[in-house]
Amino acid sequence: MANVAKKVSWSGRDDDEDGRAGETTPLLNGTGPGAAGSGRQLTPSPFLRIGQLSNVDLNEDIHELETEVPRQRPNEIPHNEKLLSLKYESLDYDNSENQLFLEEERRINHAAFRTVEIKRWVICAMIGILTGLVACFIDIVVENLAGLKYRVVKDNIDKFTAKGGLSFSLLLWATLNASVVMVGSLIVAFIEPVAAGSGIPQIKCYLNGVKIPHVVRLKTLVIKVCGVILSVVGGLAVGKEGPMIHSGSVIAAGISQGRSTSLKRDFKIFEYFRRDTEKRDFVSAGAAAGVSAAFGAPVGGVLFSLEEGASFWNQFLTWRIFFASMISTFTLNSVLSVYHGNAWDLSSPGLINFGRFDSEKMGYTIQEIPIFIFMGVVGGILGALFNALNYWLTMFRIRYIHRPCLQVVEAMLVAAVTATVGFVMIYCSRDCQPIQGSSVAYPLQLFCADGEYNSMATAFFNTPEKSVVNLFHDPPGSYNPMTLGMFTLMYFFLACWTYGLTVSAGVFIPSLLIGAAWGRLFGISLSYLTKGSIWADPGKYALMGAAAQLGGIVRMTLSLTVIMMEATGNVTYGFPIMLVLMTAKIVGDYFVEGLYDMHIQLQSVPFLHWEAPVTSHSLTAREVMSTPVTCLRRIERVGTVVDILSDTSSNHNGFPVVESNPDTTQVAGLRGLILRSQLIVLLKHKVFVERANLNLVQRRLKLKDFRDAYPRFPPIQSIHVSQDERECMIDLSEFMNPSPYTVPQEASLPRVFKLFRALGLRHLVVVDNRNEVVGMVTRKDLARYRLGKEGLEELSLAQT
Amino acid sequence: CRAVLPVLALALLGLAAAAGPRQTPALELAQELAEELWSAGLPGDLPELEPECRSLLAAFAEGSAALTGCLGRRARPVRLCQGCHGHYRRLLAQYDSIASAVGNSSESHNCAKSILTSDRLQIVVTLSEFFNETWEAANCANCLKNSSEGLSNSTEEFLDLFNKSLTCFEHNLQGQAIDLSPNNYTEVCKNCNETYTKLNDLYNHLQRMNRQGGESAHSAHLCIDVEDAMNITRKLWSRTFNCSLPCSDTVPVIAVSSFILFLPIVFYLSSFLHSKQKKRILILPKRIQSNANLVNIQEKYS
Repeated sequence: MANVAKKVSWSGRDDDEDGRAGETTPLLNGTGPGAAGSGRQLTPSPFLRIGQLSNVDLNEDIHELETEVPRQRPNEIPHNEKLLSLKYESLDYDNSENQLFLEEERRINHAAFRTVEIKRWVICAMIGILTGLVACFIDIVVENLAGLKYRVVKDNIDKFTAKGGLSFSLLLWATLNASVVMVGSLIVAFIEPVAAGSGIPQIKCYLNGVKIPHVVRLKTLVIKVCGVILSVVGGLAVGKEGPMIHSGSVIAAGISQGRSTSLKRDFKIFEYFRRDTEKRDFVSAGAAAGVSAAFGAPVGGVLFSLEEGASFWNQFLTWRIFFASMISTFTLNSVLSVYHGNAWDLSSPGLINFGRFDSEKMGYTIQEIPIFIFMGVVGGILGALFNALNYWLTMFRIRYIHRPCLQVVEAMLVAAVTATVGFVMIYCSRDCQPIQGSSVAYPLQLFCADGEYNSMATAFFNTPEKSVVNLFHDPPGSYNPMTLGMFTLMYFFLACWTYGLTVSAGVFIPSLLIGAAWGRLFGISLSYLTKGSIWADPGKYALMGAAAQLGGIVRMTLSLTVIMMEATGNVTYGFPIMLVLMTAKIVGDYFVEGLYDMHIQLQSVPFLHWEAPVTSHSLTAREVMSTPVTCLRRIERVGTVVDILSDTSSNHNGFPVVESNPDTTQVAGLRGLILRSQLIVLLKHKVFVERANLNLVQRRLKLKDFRDAYPRFPPIQSIHVSQDERECMIDLSEFMNPSPYTVPQEASLPRVFKLFRALGLRHLVVVDNRNEVVGMVTRKDLARYRLGKEGLEELSLAQT
Repeated sequence: CRAVLPVLALALLGLAAAAGPRQTPALELAQELAEELWSAGLPGDLPELEPECRSLLAAFAEGSAALTGCLGRRARPVRLCQGCHGHYRRLLAQYDSIASAVGNSSESHNCAKSILTSDRLQIVVTLSEFFNETWEAANCANCLKNSSEGLSNSTEEFLDLFNKSLTCFEHNLQGQAIDLSPNNYTEVCKNCNETYTKLNDLYNHLQRMNRQGGESAHSAHLCIDVEDAMNITRKLWSRTFNCSLPCSDTVPVIAVSSFILFLPIVFYLSSFLHSKQKKRILILPKRIQSNANLVNIQEKYS
C-alpha cells in the first residue's frame, strides 16, 4: 500500500525499483475482481503492472490514496470556480490510423473521395438552409406571440386607465409573463438542462474539444428553440440571437451524421462522417451559420468559428463554412421577405437588423474618436461590473438553487419582477412624446395627453430587439435623459439577474440594449454640452455604446467587430467599433474575465485556452502527467479487458498498448493506443483470436462497424461475455492506432500544451527514453493550470 | 436660341403666378408679353412655341398659381384637402393635356417635348412634381372620394363631429377668459366629454381601418386635415382644458408591485436557509508529487 511513495520514486526513473513496486503494489483499482485478476497475470512484467492503473481520467481511489497523502484534503467542498469536473470528456479529433483505416483508404478510389468532398458541400448547404429556416421560425413565432401578448396587455391598460384599477393590468402582465416563462423554464429544467443559457459557452467548449453531454442532440435543439421563443415572449431581458448559434451547431451535427439517435432513425447517408473529427468541422460550420442567421453577418459567423475553434483550421474548411453562412443568411432573408409580403426584396438579412446607418448625420469625424474610446472605457467598466455581479449570482445558483423546481420558480419570479419593474417605470414616467406615424409598435398612452405616448413604454413595452433598433434610429428628442438613465439602470440589473436562469436565452441583445441606452444618453448630454453641434447624433452614440457594452461583457474581439459592422451594414463604422471593442476588452480584462469564459469556468469545464500559462515553462511533462497508466498488452486476455472497462472507479477512454512479451529482459515499449469505444466494438463483435482460428468469424471487422456505433457506444455492462470467452485472447494490433503522439518526460508544459491544443489530441503518452509508458497527459491534466491572481494556480478535480 | 426658351417660359410663369390671384385673364397677358419679347429683336425664324402649346402652358401656369395660393392660404389650420382638391385636380388635368398634346405641325414639335423636356430646368415638370409630392405627403387621397370630387363619407362625419366639439367647447367657455386657472375648465370636461370621446373614437377607428387597408408605411397616416383637426382638439382638451386622465391608482399599484418585488427576496432567503448546499466531491489525481505540486508551483512562481 505504499504505492504513492513508491510511485514517486518509480517514476523518478530506475527500473529496478520499478519492478519491485510493480510486484508489491496491489492495484489501485483493486476493488474490481478483474483488476485483481489482471494484476495477478501481470505481475511478471513490471510494466504491465501499470496496466491496471488508469490514466486518462484521474481516478478516484481516494480512500487508498488518502491513507498515504500526508496533507489530507476535505472530501466535500462547496462548489467553487477552481474545480474541474470529471463529467466532461474530450473529443477524438485525432484520426486513428489503424490498419482498418488504411485498408479502407486503399479500397476507396480517387473518385469516391471526390464524392465525399461533394457531400461535404451538400451538407454545408443543408446546414445553412435549415439554420435559416429555424431562425425564420423563431422570428415569426416570437413576433406573433409577442404581438398578441402586447396587444392584450395594452388593451387592458387602456381600459383600466380610463376606469381605474391599473393594478389589475399589472397583475395581468406579470402573470402572463410568469406563466409563459414557467413553460419555457419547465421544459429546460426537466427535459434538457443543457439547453439553458445562450449556448455559446457550450459551443465554445465543443469547438475547443470538450464533449459536453447532450449538447448536440436533436432533443436539445427542440427544447432550445421552444425555450427561446417562450422566454422572449415571456418578456425576460433576453435575446434570441445567442441560442441561434447553438441551434445551428445542433443542426450541423445532426445533418452531418445522417441520422438521429433521439428519433432512432438512420437515413444511411453520410456514414463517412461519423466520427468526432468530421462532426466537429461541421459543428463549426453550423455555429457560423447560426451567427450569420442571427445577425445577418456571414463573415462574422466565419470569424466566430475561427476565433473559437481556430486550432483546427484549414482554408478549405473556412471556405465551406463561409458557404454555409451565406446560404443561411440568404435563406432567412428570402423566407422573411416572402413572409413580410415583399418577396425577393431580401432586406432583412438577420434576426436583428440594426437598420441603416448611412445618412449624412450618422457619419463621424476624427475628433470623435477619443470620445468613442472613452465610451469603450465606460463599456469595459460596466461590463466588468455586470460580469462580477453575475458571477456571484451564478455561484449562489449553483450552490443553492440546484433543484429543477426551484429553478423554475426562480425563472417565474424574474419574469414577474421584470414585468413589474417595467410597469412601475412606465407608470411613474412623465415623459410623453407625440406619436409620429407608426414608428411605435405598441404606443401606450397611460396618463399622457391624447395623441401622445409614454416614451418609457417604447423601451420597456416591446421586445428587446425592437427597443434596440428604436434607440438607434428614433429621431433626436424622442427620449428624455431621465427616461434613458432610469431605463439603463433597471435594465442593467434585470439583464444581469436574468442571465444564468434555467431558460434558453441569449445575452447579446440585452447587452446591446443597455449599451444603446447609455450610449444615447451620452450622445444627448454631449450635444447638450456642445450646444447642439451637428455631429452629435444620439443614434450614433447609441451604436457605439451598444458595441462597448457588448464588448465589455462578452470580450469577443475580431468576430464581434465584424458582426457589428455587418449588422450596421456600414463599413466605415468598422474602425470606431474596433477601437471601442478593443478598449472595452482591455479595460474589462483588467477587472474580471468575459462572461462566457466565466461561465465555462464555473461549470468546471476543462477548457484549453490559446496558450499555456506564461510562467509554466519549468513544469515538465513528468509533473503534469497522470501516472501510473492502465496499459493493455498487444494480445490481451478478454477478461482483463472487460474488467478494466467495467471498473466503475476509472472510466478511462484511452489505453496505451504495449508489447505483450512477458519476458522481463525485454522492454515492453509502447506499440500503440486504443480507445475504449474501439474495445467495446471489438468485444461486441467478439473478435477473439480463438474464434478466428476456429473460423467462427464470418467477416472481418471494418471501419464501418466502428462508425455505426458512433457516437453513443454501448456501455460495457450491456455486453455479455461468457466465462469461457473471458479466457480467450484478443489481438489489438490491427485496431490500435500504431503511432500515437508521445512526448518525453522532460518536455515542458507549454510544449505539451501546444502539441495538445494544435493537434486536438485527447491522449498524449509520456514515454521514457526506452519507449516505455510512464504516464499519460490528458486534457484535464493541462487545463488544471491556470494563471490566477497570485501566479500559477492548480485546479482540483471534482465529481459534479 | 435654346437658352431663350427657358427664359421665356420662366417669364410666362412668373407673370402668370403674379397674375393669378388677381384673376386677370392670364392667357392674354402672356401673349402680350410674348409679343413684347418678340418685338425686342428675336429672330423671326426661331422654332417658336406653337400657339396651342402656348395656351396650354399658360393654363398650367394659371392653375399652378391658383393651387399655390390655395395651399398657402389654407396652411393653418390645415384645410388643404377640403379646400384645394378642385384646384389640384384641374392642375393634374392641365398637366396631362400638356403631356399628351401633339402639336399641329410635325411629330417632333409636339407640346410635350417642347414644354417638358427641352431645357435643363424643366420647370413645368418640377412644379408638377412638387404639387404631387405635397399632395402625397398630405395623404389627401385618404379623405377624398375615389375619383369623383368631394370628401368621403367618413371624413364628412368626422368633420361634422369635430365642428360639434368645437361648438361645445365654445359654449361652455362663454363668458370665461382664457387665462383662468385650469380647474375652472372642469365644466368643459364634463359637458363635452361625450362629444370628444365620440370624436376620439371615430378617429381611432378611422386610423385602424386605414392601417388594415393599406400595406405601405405611408398610408398609415390619415389625411392631413383630419389629423390636424384631431391634433388641435386633443391639444385643447389635454393641454388647455387639462381634461386628460389624472394619475390614479397609486396606492394599489404600489402595493401590488411591492408585493411582487418582495417575492424574490423571500425566495432567495428561503433557498439560502433551507436548501442544502451542493457539495462537490474532490478527487485526488494520480500524479507524481500530487500533494506537493501546488506548493511547488507557488514557491516557484510567487
